[in-house]
Amino acid sequence: MLEIGERFMTKSLYSKILLLVAILFFSQNIAFSQEAVDSLAVQKGEQIYKANCTSCHMMTDKVLIGPGLKGVTDRRAKDWLKKWINSSSDFIASGDADAIALYEEYNKVAMPSYYFEDADFEALFAYLKNPPIVEEVITADLAVADDQGIKTSTILMIIALFLLTLVYLLTSLKNKLKESIGQETETIPETLINQFNLFISEHKNVVFVSVATLIVVLKFTYDAMLGVGVYTNYMPEQPIAFSHKVHAGENGVDCNYCHSSARKSKHSGIPSANVCMNCHTYINEGKITGTTEISKIYDAVGFDPDSKTYIEGYEQKPIKWVRIHNLPDLSYFNHSQHVVAGKVECQTCHGPVEEMEVLYQHASLTMGWCIDCHRETEVAMEGNEYYTELHDQLKEKYKGEKITVDKIGGIECGKCHY
Amino acid sequence: MKTTKKYWKGLAQLNDDPIVEKLAQNEFVEDLPVDQFLGDEKNLSSTNSSRRDFLKFLGFSTAAATLAACETPVVKSIPYLVKPDEIIPGVANYYASTYYDGRDYASILVKTREGRPIKIENNGTCSNSRVQASVLSLYDSARLKTPLKNQQESDWNIIDSEIKEKLSNLDGKTIALLTSSILSPSTKKIIKEFSAKYDNVRHVMIDSTPYDGILDANEDSFGNRFAPDYSFDKANVIVSFGADFLANWMANDYATDYVNGRNPKNGKMSKHYQIETNMSLTGANADKRIQIKPSEQGYLISSLLDGISGKSFDKRLTKIVSTLKSNKEKSIVVSNSNEKNIQLIVNAINNKLGNYGNTIHIDKPSYLKQGNSGDMDNLIKDMSSGKVGALITYQVNPSYNLHNSNEFNSALSNVDLKISTSLYNDETAYQMDYVCPDHHNLESWGDANPKYGTYSLMQPTIAPLFNTRQFQESLLVWIGKSDYRNYLQNFWTNKGVDWNKSLHDGYFTYSDSKLKTKSFVDLSQPISKSEKNSIELEVYETIAIGDGKLSNNPWLQELPDPLTRACWDNYLTISDSTAKSLGLSNWTVSNGAMNGSLVDISGGGKTLKNVPVFISPGQAQSTVGMAVGYGRTRAGKAGDNVGFNAFPFLNVKEIEITKVDGEYEFASIQLHHTMMGRDIVKETSLAEHIKDPSSGNHREKYYTYKGKLPANEVSLYEEHDLETGHFWNLSIDLTSCIGCGECVISCQAENNIPVVGKEEMRMSRDMHWMRIDRYYSSDMTKELSKEEKISPITMYSEMEVPSENPEVVFQPVMCMHCNHAPCENVCPVAATTHSNEGLNQMTYNRCIGTRYCANNCPYKVRRFNWFQYSENEKFDFHMNDDLGKMVLNPDVVVRSRGVIEKCSMCIQKIQELKLTAKREGRPIKDEEAQTVCASSCSTNAIIFGDSNNKESEVWKLRNDERAYDLLDHLNVKPSVFYQTKIRNKS
Repeated sequence: MLEIGERFMTKSLYSKILLLVAILFFSQNIAFSQEAVDSLAVQKGEQIYKANCTSCHMMTDKVLIGPGLKGVTDRRAKDWLKKWINSSSDFIASGDADAIALYEEYNKVAMPSYYFEDADFEALFAYLKNPPIVEEVITADLAVADDQGIKTSTILMIIALFLLTLVYLLTSLKNKLKESIGQETETIPETLINQFNLFISEHKNVVFVSVATLIVVLKFTYDAMLGVGVYTNYMPEQPIAFSHKVHAGENGVDCNYCHSSARKSKHSGIPSANVCMNCHTYINEGKITGTTEISKIYDAVGFDPDSKTYIEGYEQKPIKWVRIHNLPDLSYFNHSQHVVAGKVECQTCHGPVEEMEVLYQHASLTMGWCIDCHRETEVAMEGNEYYTELHDQLKEKYKGEKITVDKIGGIECGKCHY
Repeated sequence: MKTTKKYWKGLAQLNDDPIVEKLAQNEFVEDLPVDQFLGDEKNLSSTNSSRRDFLKFLGFSTAAATLAACETPVVKSIPYLVKPDEIIPGVANYYASTYYDGRDYASILVKTREGRPIKIENNGTCSNSRVQASVLSLYDSARLKTPLKNQQESDWNIIDSEIKEKLSNLDGKTIALLTSSILSPSTKKIIKEFSAKYDNVRHVMIDSTPYDGILDANEDSFGNRFAPDYSFDKANVIVSFGADFLANWMANDYATDYVNGRNPKNGKMSKHYQIETNMSLTGANADKRIQIKPSEQGYLISSLLDGISGKSFDKRLTKIVSTLKSNKEKSIVVSNSNEKNIQLIVNAINNKLGNYGNTIHIDKPSYLKQGNSGDMDNLIKDMSSGKVGALITYQVNPSYNLHNSNEFNSALSNVDLKISTSLYNDETAYQMDYVCPDHHNLESWGDANPKYGTYSLMQPTIAPLFNTRQFQESLLVWIGKSDYRNYLQNFWTNKGVDWNKSLHDGYFTYSDSKLKTKSFVDLSQPISKSEKNSIELEVYETIAIGDGKLSNNPWLQELPDPLTRACWDNYLTISDSTAKSLGLSNWTVSNGAMNGSLVDISGGGKTLKNVPVFISPGQAQSTVGMAVGYGRTRAGKAGDNVGFNAFPFLNVKEIEITKVDGEYEFASIQLHHTMMGRDIVKETSLAEHIKDPSSGNHREKYYTYKGKLPANEVSLYEEHDLETGHFWNLSIDLTSCIGCGECVISCQAENNIPVVGKEEMRMSRDMHWMRIDRYYSSDMTKELSKEEKISPITMYSEMEVPSENPEVVFQPVMCMHCNHAPCENVCPVAATTHSNEGLNQMTYNRCIGTRYCANNCPYKVRRFNWFQYSENEKFDFHMNDDLGKMVLNPDVVVRSRGVIEKCSMCIQKIQELKLTAKREGRPIKDEEAQTVCASSCSTNAIIFGDSNNKESEVWKLRNDERAYDLLDHLNVKPSVFYQTKIRNKS
């Protein structure tokens, strides 16, 4: 797990550097074109574009439902575009050949009418003319060198051997010398013991430090033992390299959109593939991984991205996700209790999911962690009629103290263990 | 001083007996079974592993196991690819459906989790323990998984084509369709279509316990061969001659009606007389019970008719005659007799009393029993003479539960084509050419018309688990049609029934054409008294097993009988004095279990050897009772060879009993029969209750420094704050509780309670979180001993002996959730603690199994897991079986070995309820709060709720003058309390 983590961090470091280089390189281009454009208009145009156009159009050549809008301001005259956007059906009815051709080309799906002000049009066109720079996906070979030269243990072994040889040589030398002056010789263990006693009597401070170190080491061992079964930072490899950072962070998809049962059930629920397909029917290519990861969903459900249809009689393959947050069976946890009744943010327990490229376990999920939170968190009583009577009783009982979860029985055994 | 004294170890040493020397040489008198634990000596010497190696292995494997435990377990989580809209993982769905297995009928609600049914709830009607337990039978591994041809697995296509071909080429021989009573109108139509397609179809219906007497009598009296429906709630007087109408009689559960007519709150209770042989559940609830021999029933009923008509009558009936006479049009007289003439007299009595149209509805009959034994006997005759070309059975097992199953079995060989549609390869099915297994009830579509004007629908709550096919579908296929589901929907929508709504509700009303009945004709013949000296037999059905259809359901096998409190057995019930006269007895052995004598019985040309005898207070003198439904041989691993088969004795009236050597080991979990003068169940009479509502609810007062005070006003402990938030209370009304055990099964299903088997039950290691204690009255009372100046020792020893015809009380006992709990104080690891909502909580993962709490519990409600009951070969029940484990409730932990468990007051349901209310931002409604024992109780004896809600039912009950705490002198302040038992006796 750690290995994957390390690798990932290295990977992100690499890509960050590459990104920086790319930005530096492109920034000059941006500087040139900026001279001609009113940046305020572009900003406004971007807002209009995102609010109205993104569900059917892309800024590239790619077709979503309508055509891709790359270079559309060059292809069509502004007036033509205005008429089309204001009311495409009227425009078609008026008999404009281009408009009819366009309508025919896209399966006779009429574009809805948008009544923009002239200023809005200008802004939108300004934005369309100066689309944001799409960072090219740079796929560099990110293979990290596994081989870190000679292993540490080998080095330690060599040093140990060297020292032992040294001890042997020195002892034999000493014995030779002693023999020569007629003193008793010492064997190697005797030498070692004598030296050790000498060392203790001469270096009391060092002994003290050693004992202290031992205690510290024991304490660390004890803590490590306590950590058995605690899997903070558990970051398993998933069958699909799904990025919460892209979905929840950059695209701002609400957690509840995919994990919809978190509001109703004890399980937050891993979304079923049909939820993925709500968006990925149209989005066939990812920012980082291109088509490789998204096509895994298609492979599971049997979807042909080219014809945008489901394959008849396809034997669907379930996606076997690896569960990250594993509570033992003996404890009952309910998502809806926390998300709806307790109004707790997902991030409180799951950490900054919107920043996680690969999801990992943020909290320790130990009982102490649960209880700490229950002792500190105030019960979300305001505006909930369930609590009306209880709230009055508790206010009287606790006289101005914070009414935390434990005060309504939130740390009783039977609330989670049954 | 040097001592020369020698001390001998015994006389033998003094006498220099050689044995002393021998023993001194030999430390172990008996050879130690070294070989047994070391294994084969040869193997041992030839092995290369030394003791050091062994230690190395041990050390290594321990280390490896420890290391392995540190590894992060990889748990896969596989979501749906396309999630069905109605399923949210973790949230239960409920579907209305119908239960009918050919015997028991109930309108039910099925709770499913992630698409699998896990619990059955009542859908507004009465049900019983078998219906509650039927969900486990869905996951029975003994069910047939494929169709069989000549006992070999086969394919539906092959089977269908062969059957169709054979059915059309029978050379004019008849096709016999042998079924249970058919309640389904659509099935009846399919059978009609089937009869139209193939000539000579003959439909015979049988009931496992025949009810020909009552059906034929009503045909003679009123022109329709149906049993009437009864309104026990409208009757002021109920006289039942042996009819166990609260439990098994007519398979019609009248418990709800019966209890509604006996609510002391209204100041009025029906008066219930039971005149019977065996102590039945209904008899146990009666106000007055008269013991008779079965042969006396006809005479007494005849005498009752005389009494009502103003002639002279048997003096035992004096009270009954007078109360019946003063309650005309408001009484019910029923009998369990299967003799037509006796039922004709019963009809005459009810007619004379003007009960028809008032309490008995002959124009709105019950359709639950339609079997005809005469038809069956003719069928067997025709089968043996080769007139029957094909036999198709449905929901019946004639090779097991016919009294003349031998004749049936031999006649079967003369039938050319034999088809069974049984779910199991049972006693009948395994003799058949083809077995076309039916779906389980919970996998089936269907409809039912249990009584006039009442209809209900059955819908599948899970996709078929195995390659089975519904019986109706099979019939449709054999006549060249298919799709029973559409057939059913069209059948009802064509009649103008709103399909979706009816399916959602589970039942619907549909106005039948009015049933034509002829006016009453009295054809009865009077019966005169006849004296018999022999021992008479009455065969009965138990609460748990019924006719043995669900024998392979371990929950039911382990449900203790409400009266004998024995499980996993049937036996000969006999009264104490008759047993003594025959030299028979029951006795307790050193491990606290009960053993009994064995007898051989013979009668009606049949014999049974080594039948155990169970002494049952209340059994009439010189009579014995015997339960059917046991002694199955092809039911499955739980049901096979449990007890003996009593069906051959169904029509045997008199038997001879011979004592034989040997003893039998019973698994009875209550061996003390009386309350020994304590007021565990507080009781009073209706008259006393009207005078003083708190009568019988006497609270003892104790001396304190403040003067004499009742126990609940003296306490050493600090009180819990129970006023803030909820205070969950449970009230049990001992007047309404009939002791049927439905709550016990319901609790077992909800709380993943394991089945432990007969041996463990015998050692009182039962795991049921709730039990229903039964107490008999004794002839000796404290009052009597004072009057007659009997010494306390004699008094108490005589109090232990139940009366020959005792009054019976039932008392459901589960954890009382004491607010001064003795168990909480003694737990060394704080595994059992108190909640601020008045619950005593048990934390299994904290428990280390000292069992101090169980020892300190005054109610003995704590259960210890002596073994690992799940995934253990030694306990080969549903928890040792992947299929059986599907019934487990995912919200409740399966406990492991070495921990105490007990009633949690369904805390999972409480938590869920609170959460739903919090999510929806509203207060909890009183009727929403339910434990499963409360929701499954057909008689509403158990009421659950929040006592801090002053509007709640349970708050009213807590403050009722009938409310009392069990063992209130202990002042443990239970959250569970009882309402005094009130009997309508003078």
